[in-house]
Amino acid sequence: MADAPLLELRGITKRFPGVVANDHVDFELAKGEVHALLGENGAGKSTLMNILYGLYHPDEGEIRLNGKPLRIDSPRAAIDNGIGMVHQHFMLIPVMSVAENIVLGVEPHSGPFLDLDTAQARVRELSERFGLAVRPEARIDSISVGMQQRVEILKALYRGAEILILDEPTAVLTPQEAEELFAIVRSLQAEGKSIIFISHKLNEVLKIADRITTLRFGKEVATVPREGATQEGLARMMVGREVVLRVEKPPAQPGEPLLVAEDLIVVDDRGLEACRGISLEVRAGEIVGIAGVDGNGQTELIDALTGLRHPASGRIVVGGRDVTDATAREVLDNGMGHIPEDRQLRGLVLDFSLAENLALHDFRKPPDSRFGWLFPRRLVQRARRLLAEFDVRGGGPETPAASLSGGNQQKVVVAREVSRDPRVLLAAQPTRGLDVGAIEFVHRRLVTERDEGRAIVLVSFELEEILSLSDRILVLYEGRIVGEYQPDVSEEELGFAMTGGLENEAA
Amino acid sequence: MADEPRASTGSAVTEWFSTRIGGVLVPVAATALAFLIGGLVVAITGNNPITAYKAIFAGTGLNWFFPWVSGDARADAANDLQQTLILMAPLILTGLAVAFAFRCGLFNIGGQGQYWVGFIAALYVATNLEGTPRPLHVLLAIVAAIVAGGIWGGIAGALKATVGAHEVITTIMLNWIAIFGGTYLYEIGGPLQGPQESIPRSDEVFESAELWPIWGSLPALHAGIFIALFALVVYSVILNRTTLGFEVRAVGFNPEAARYSGISVSKNYFLALAISGAFAGLAGGIDLLGFKFSVDVGDFGTNFIAFTGIAVALLGRTRAVGILFAALLFAALEVGTSTRQLDPEVFEPALAVDLATMIQALVIFFVGAELLIVYIWRARTLLRPGQAAQPELKQ
Amino acid sequence: MSTQSRTALLGNGVRRLTEPRTIAILGIACGILAFWLALPPWTVRSVGGPLAAGFVALACGIAVVPRGERKLGWWAIALGVAGTLGAIWLQTKEAETLDSILTAGVLASTLRFATPLAFAAMGGIFSERSGIVNIGLEGMMLMGAFFGVWGAVWSGTWVVGLLMAMLFGGLLALIHAFFSIHLRADQIVSGFAVNFLALGVTGFLYSSIYPGGIETEVSRVPNVQLDFLYDIPLVGDLLGGVFGWIMFAVVILSYVILFKTPIGLRIRSVGEHPKAADTVGISVYGVRYGAVVTSGVLAALGGAFLSIGFVGTFTENMTSGRGYIALAAVIFGKWLPGWAFAATLLFGFGFALAIPLQREAGISENLISTLPYVLTLVALVGLIGRSIPPAAVGRPYVKG
Repeated sequence: MADAPLLELRGITKRFPGVVANDHVDFELAKGEVHALLGENGAGKSTLMNILYGLYHPDEGEIRLNGKPLRIDSPRAAIDNGIGMVHQHFMLIPVMSVAENIVLGVEPHSGPFLDLDTAQARVRELSERFGLAVRPEARIDSISVGMQQRVEILKALYRGAEILILDEPTAVLTPQEAEELFAIVRSLQAEGKSIIFISHKLNEVLKIADRITTLRFGKEVATVPREGATQEGLARMMVGREVVLRVEKPPAQPGEPLLVAEDLIVVDDRGLEACRGISLEVRAGEIVGIAGVDGNGQTELIDALTGLRHPASGRIVVGGRDVTDATAREVLDNGMGHIPEDRQLRGLVLDFSLAENLALHDFRKPPDSRFGWLFPRRLVQRARRLLAEFDVRGGGPETPAASLSGGNQQKVVVAREVSRDPRVLLAAQPTRGLDVGAIEFVHRRLVTERDEGRAIVLVSFELEEILSLSDRILVLYEGRIVGEYQPDVSEEELGFAMTGGLENEAA
Repeated sequence: MADEPRASTGSAVTEWFSTRIGGVLVPVAATALAFLIGGLVVAITGNNPITAYKAIFAGTGLNWFFPWVSGDARADAANDLQQTLILMAPLILTGLAVAFAFRCGLFNIGGQGQYWVGFIAALYVATNLEGTPRPLHVLLAIVAAIVAGGIWGGIAGALKATVGAHEVITTIMLNWIAIFGGTYLYEIGGPLQGPQESIPRSDEVFESAELWPIWGSLPALHAGIFIALFALVVYSVILNRTTLGFEVRAVGFNPEAARYSGISVSKNYFLALAISGAFAGLAGGIDLLGFKFSVDVGDFGTNFIAFTGIAVALLGRTRAVGILFAALLFAALEVGTSTRQLDPEVFEPALAVDLATMIQALVIFFVGAELLIVYIWRARTLLRPGQAAQPELKQ
Repeated sequence: MSTQSRTALLGNGVRRLTEPRTIAILGIACGILAFWLALPPWTVRSVGGPLAAGFVALACGIAVVPRGERKLGWWAIALGVAGTLGAIWLQTKEAETLDSILTAGVLASTLRFATPLAFAAMGGIFSERSGIVNIGLEGMMLMGAFFGVWGAVWSGTWVVGLLMAMLFGGLLALIHAFFSIHLRADQIVSGFAVNFLALGVTGFLYSSIYPGGIETEVSRVPNVQLDFLYDIPLVGDLLGGVFGWIMFAVVILSYVILFKTPIGLRIRSVGEHPKAADTVGISVYGVRYGAVVTSGVLAALGGAFLSIGFVGTFTENMTSGRGYIALAAVIFGKWLPGWAFAATLLFGFGFALAIPLQREAGISENLISTLPYVLTLVALVGLIGRSIPPAAVGRPYVKG
């Protein structure tokens, strides 16, 4: 690393209304290096990389490539300078083929016509060179998430990228797929590519990176070599204090079963069976975690349990009552609480006031309304009480939900669901995108509700969350429950089950 | 055209904006800008925009409100104002027809068809049932108009709710079906043609079904204006004080979140369009019973009142009070530019009618593009150092 | 090896023939045939033929519905029944009457009605494929109709008329583009305002430039009579005018550009996933501006056909809703040029039937005129499940 760095970011500052996303951040990348950028959600990692990729423009600071200052004002400029980026949310067009996605913008052509044959040939060649095993003629929506990520990598390589930014690349992958990704990263490194690896997972950073730079609240904390770095040390830098990785909770005292599902078969929007015979039982006073990689039937299972989608066959019983054919409203009224996966899209009506959002289920019933007649003042009274109880900051009952921070928005959703005194509480990805404080709040609250005697179902893609909260863990794979574990199970064992390892073994 | 929350991209900007300046400025600025550009057009054609606008204003009858106008001028102004108010009533209603659907996230372009279907239904009732006592006959005809308009809107709603057919397309199709269908009913040889075989015109309504005249005689301002004002109240109450309105607004802002809270999105789509249709149908009903009394087939293709209703709803920002003022503005503009009111020596009415259309279009543009006004506002604040306004979203 | 693969190929062919989908399509064809048999040029005057075809359709439908081909199967059943009933009803009509309704003239006027729709529909496809809803097609057509006449009168030649039409149609589209792309206005609202604006502007200009109407002879787009084509019945009618040729070229070009060139790939990518396009350096705004302006130019050509291609004059609001029908054709045709063109032909046929039906069968022209619209509604109900719009259509794109 004695050479001059390939890429230097000096004093990068980027302000958004109300926040300084990057505050004089320095970062450098040597040729052939894997340099991890570590930080919590909202620490400014993505902003920094979006600046490097020309999607944002820094308010201050400079970028140098090979020692020369460089202006990157568009992705095109980044691409032209050999910088490629694999975004956390893939930038792929589902209805087009792999080859079309890869050549988009730099299409090979003969005369005015698109030369798809050449495109496919080049993609195949590149894919073989880096051992990516991608089929160029496949449609994006027909290939797996891991494969889609390789398409993204190929997209950057096709454009001659020498520097590759991987933004939270393992977030959507199974542990096994992540291993495959690490192998790909190493082979890229062997070919002389330089890689910026963005992550908030300590173990994988330690596994793959040569150097690690930590960001906190938009400021650079430190850059350290991998040698000598420890999980604890990195965690302290990242969060600024000791992190409690496990939630403190007394042992569960399970009571009667409140949620029972038997042989659920649920069909997805495309008419395919997404849940293929799921049976589960959740008792009062326990948290059951449902682990699994995204897309293995979680959405459809949640929809079925909450009455949003009717199962093709099977039975659902909530609190002793059969709700298999009930509407979503009946299920909710029968003691189901639901913290949906995406609070902005599904949990809240952002243009509604907090009072209205808190009444989103109960506005039909007295005291909110009578004979279809609504009493707005009662909505406000209730809201005032709940906002105080759940310590929601940033607005009163009349404030639109849109103007709250993510953590406070989630508190509103939790307040609404918990205040309805549900027998079953279903939490889907309840901490996604929240900062540490808010995560702790949600976790503690779920445990409190458990101890109140509710049956809690936790669906999450974060193994750590599942492991630290659950009293029992069910693993969902391809629409089936493939295993049940106690919370002291190892990540490896869970990961094995999540990727169908058990099924393959049985076969 | 996906069912995404329509407000998602604009809401933060809108909020930033409305908390600082209030929701009144955009419509006012948009109107001013539209009239300014309209004035430029007038100037380009070699007329003096100020005299032209003055002449148009004189025809609206709005000067009746000025206490210093007296004598003959006052009588003239009263006549003109009656015409403006006659037109304002259906404009309020067609505006509500657009606004109510809008609150549910739907764009009801089918007000014109709903208007005609309501009109025809009322006409059928009002030309039959001879001998029904007056208040009852009026009531029956109006109910027929509301129900027919509701059904016509409800068809689009049902198609949206069941198969997801986009309401813009279906309501446009329903417009044309109503227009051609109506023409067919009263054309020469048509099944409901009136007494004169050579004239494609309907029967006249019975006197017992006519709305009561309340002011003037040329034609008189009729009781329909009260019905329209009452409808404004109903609209506001439904939206803000009933569970139905709560559901409609929730679906309009975020159908997905509404669905997750157990609200039936399709039911609300259906209801919203049916209620919208009822408002538009009512507009047709009061026009018939208030001053038209019959229909000529030529009317079907030349009436754009529900399209103006779209401008009314947008300019009024779908708020009851806003719709009231917007309807008054557009009614006045239309009356002021009509052949009957405008002095051809000052400004050619043939041009003025089109000028009014242009101004309406510009108003829709400018109200629809709040960002434009935001940009202009920001350009102003940027001049003050250290106070750079930042409405951009972090996305 | 080669024989093997050939057998496999043959096997595939046979398998394809027995697939439910194929049978269902056969059923649908038979249903249509049942009705058609009673019409010229066959004009079968007995119930047997249509009945037989109808039964085949019914059988095909009943056979495939339980095998999973629900939608097409039901179509086959419905068409079988409707076609047979229709054919039986037609038996009550004189053969001569039918002959005089379904003349070659009807086909020619089908094309004449379809031509402006086809131009606007192709325009609509470009705009919507790039992610911008364009209900302003109506107004852009109206601009084309007026400025076509204006250019032709002013210069004395239709060529300038066409150029002016395209120029002003494109300019109006530019306004729509600016409001929907840069100002992120609701695209439906903006498109609607475009229609209103065009109505006002063309009316205003028409009244001020031609206060007494257009008195001079307007230079019209000529018919090129290619003798060898003209001698063939029908074809001569169909391909008589320059406009017909331009239209076919535009339809084919639209397909080629959208699906066979890099530009098309970029347009579609912007309409599906603008951020993805942005991150590979494609200018989302640039592509959208280009596509919307193209749509205005094409729609204006359609409008110009109405004025200088056909009647040779302008009247206020002369497009009278054709832009909206073109939009329906776009959806009907699933945003594909070929299918959208087919949809415009279907609408054109509906309109073309109105006049002879009134003349010969005494059915009200106005009643028949509702048919294309009813048809669209029915089609929306039947087809909508398969009709998936570009993913990002109607949504403004915020950079960065």
